Amino acid sequence: MTAILSKQDRLNASLTNLRTSMPELRGALVATVDGLPIAQAMSDGTDANRVAAMAATALGLGKRINDTLGSGQLTDMSVGGAQGQVYIYAAGTKGVLAVVTPPGMNLGLLHMEARDTAQDVASIL
Amino acid sequence: MSTGMTAFPTALPPQAPLKLVVSGPVGAGKTTFVQTLSQTPVVATEAEASEDIGKTNTTVAFDFGTLHLDGQELHLYGTPGQDRFSFMWEVLCEGALGLVLLVAGDRPQDFAHARGILDFITSRIPVPFLVGVTRQDQDRVWDPADVALYFGLPQEQVVGLNATDPAQAREVLAHLLELTLSPQPALG
Repeated sequence: MTAILSKQDRLNASLTNLRTSMPELRGALVATVDGLPIAQAMSDGTDANRVAAMAATALGLGKRINDTLGSGQLTDMSVGGAQGQVYIYAAGTKGVLAVVTPPGMNLGLLHMEARDTAQDVASIL
Repeated sequence: MSTGMTAFPTALPPQAPLKLVVSGPVGAGKTTFVQTLSQTPVVATEAEASEDIGKTNTTVAFDFGTLHLDGQELHLYGTPGQDRFSFMWEVLCEGALGLVLLVAGDRPQDFAHARGILDFITSRIPVPFLVGVTRQDQDRVWDPADVALYFGLPQEQVVGLNATDPAQAREVLAHLLELTLSPQPALG
């Protein structure tokens, strides 16, 4: 396969990979750090614009918290509830990856897969 | 943690900080306004802008600064400007005692958006507000009185300022505090 894929195709492929390796995920989305959606594989009925903006807000706030606590560069942050979790990963300096999961996920596997995806996204952007 | 007798206050101190929110469209000068006023290092959440908004960074969560004005401690929260962050307008305005809505006086194309933000906030949280028309140092800039007409507000509720000028920025807050504190009759 030597065909040159567009950035959009590569981002979509990256998200598809993640969702294929973890089919129980409820959704995954890539946004810019200022909150614009770039690629998404979300379940129906989720407003990607809103999730993208919220992911950027969470990442921005997480970075500040990390700065204040001296925890170094932010890698990820999470928001959890009884019915599910959202994990938000920094994807380089330009992007953010949000992954929506059902409760009771295999977190070790999720972090491994999602960090790979985030790295992939960072290299594409 | 302080170890004195005041370690466990049973009531709010007489001068509890007042929460004020600064909102308005992108590029109105919200972050600048908070930075100009704050007497403590501003907690800012800026991210690289991927749209052409006339600047390289944009606020994605909030700016937070504090200051003392006339013996009153104020906490200032600056919001993001883009509509996609409207959830932050609601979050930040909860419990706010005053709102400064900034709009760039040399960008009349933003006025409608500013009006929309004002309606969004005040329809959910009834909060005393002032409209600040920034960039008064520019050549082609709208007069606060004209902006008041546009917004359909009394002239005293719309003031002109440069967000970089500490004296002017403090004056805006003082004016807002008058609005916030004066209409409520004293209890008892």
